[in-house]
Amino acid sequence: MSGVVALVRPVEAAPRRRPWRRDWTPELLLAPALVAIAAVMGFPLAYLCYMSLHKWSLIGFAAPAFVGTGNFTALFGDERFTNSLWRTFYFTALGLATNLPAGLGIALLLNRAFFGRGLLRALLIFPMVATPVAMGLVWVVMLDPSLGVVRYLFGLVGVADPPLWLSDTDWVIPTLVFVDAWMWTPMVALICSAGLAALPVEPFEAATVDGASAWQRFRYLTLPLLMPMLLVAAMLRLMDLLKVIDIVYVMTGGGPGHASETINLYNYLVALSYDKIGYGAAVALVLFALVLAGTLGLIRLRRAA
Amino acid sequence: MTRAARLSLAGRAAASWLVVLAMMLPFLWMVLGSFKTARDFLAFPPVWLFRPTIENYAEVFADNAFLRYVLNSTIVAAGATGLGLLLGIPAAYAMARWRRTAMGIVLLAARMAPGIAFLIPLFVACLELHLVGGYTSLIASHLIFTLPLAVWMMVGFIEAVPVEIEQAAMIDGCSVWGALLRIVVPLTRQGIAATAILAFIASWNNFLFALVLSNDTTKTLPVAVLAYIGYNSIQWGALMAAASIITLPVLVLALCVQRYIVRGLVSGAVTG
Repeated sequence: MSGVVALVRPVEAAPRRRPWRRDWTPELLLAPALVAIAAVMGFPLAYLCYMSLHKWSLIGFAAPAFVGTGNFTALFGDERFTNSLWRTFYFTALGLATNLPAGLGIALLLNRAFFGRGLLRALLIFPMVATPVAMGLVWVVMLDPSLGVVRYLFGLVGVADPPLWLSDTDWVIPTLVFVDAWMWTPMVALICSAGLAALPVEPFEAATVDGASAWQRFRYLTLPLLMPMLLVAAMLRLMDLLKVIDIVYVMTGGGPGHASETINLYNYLVALSYDKIGYGAAVALVLFALVLAGTLGLIRLRRAA
Repeated sequence: MTRAARLSLAGRAAASWLVVLAMMLPFLWMVLGSFKTARDFLAFPPVWLFRPTIENYAEVFADNAFLRYVLNSTIVAAGATGLGLLLGIPAAYAMARWRRTAMGIVLLAARMAPGIAFLIPLFVACLELHLVGGYTSLIASHLIFTLPLAVWMMVGFIEAVPVEIEQAAMIDGCSVWGALLRIVVPLTRQGIAATAILAFIASWNNFLFALVLSNDTTKTLPVAVLAYIGYNSIQWGALMAAASIITLPVLVLALCVQRYIVRGLVSGAVTG
């Protein structure tokens, strides 16, 4: 899991003495990548900041007009924006509340060797690598309110009239969270699995000798010892839940009405469908700031833990 | 093992199988659906056993454009992967052997930024430069995630190579670039292969960048598959066949790099 740790605290290898003279070689090695990063990431972000201060439209001949922070102040009065913001928070909270316990549960189940465990671990990677757009569409078919296999399965357990899922304004977000959870809970599970495999044995032996119950061992040993890994998983999920767009775009397009319009989808529509480039740039910066704040908050939590 | 312990292990195994197999239902349903006739598809309760037809696949491939989209996806993914590795390996070498933490922070920021934040300015810039709808803009935009992925993965692989080998080579007069090309690259070739596969999958799966930066002739598979689902009609069978064609190669590739999947996802395979 060195990659997971490296993400939070980039390279922290012990300083080693080099036989070669300190020169510009490392900078030369980095240069091509840095040029590319500047071109495809640095320049767009700078341009985005510039755009966010302008009234900017691609259609027509009006030149971009400087409006200062006008785009940002307009956000407060934009109900569709504030609604999409709250909806995204709801989506994210629901996502974290389901992904983390479910992922931990699966990791705990897979924590003992049994027949076929390796195969199950391999199968677990399928939902997260399969093309999200394709799988989103498969779920649309499965969730179809009249012909879908999901309705049939609910019928088998005695629920004759399940909700309309993606067509119901109250159910659409939980349903999308479910599909997102189907894709990403396995990642949480595999991260937790790696954490569980690395736990020390002695405290558990000592606890068993002292007569601790299985629940007590979980509550007072496994959970606290696993907390750093859980926080890494939470951080990754938080970033991607706040940014969710692909499955929403293909499964509901933000509907019914605007009931599933997340901030990223609204951002896409405003900038690239409604041609309000400057305003869209402001929304994108707010979204970036949100992800940044959320992630840094969790990193701080992890340092404290 | 006591009787109770054996029973509890059996219960755990049964529960695990049940959970994981239930999660495989969408894949089963996709593949089953791709072999169903329109009539079987619209049956309720759904049919599990039916006379399979290859008509849906025939329909998908009869559309000449579909092969074109497969080619587009392959070109873009191969380009973004190759370029990502070409630029990423030297950078990873610098980060692994000389500590260059600043680079790590830049790449972490890239992992956090929403794709749309890059996409809006890139779209406007590409319009100005008449690059929208070309492979160049698609490949360049996919670098946003293939490059960080290549760097993060390769830092780990390079750090696992004992530095003494390079030191010995340098004492014998090998240059840094020589050490990179003749020692580090050959010794990490498995890691490079794993990284390439992960970057390829990430690019193959990407939707948003292709949605905005491609046109009718350069669009990639995730964008093309949307055509099967219209506002009032869904071509069910063809949709499932197309989804299977897009997804199954990814699943096979992913199995080859099973061990590294989580590491790859952590380092930036997803950009919304």
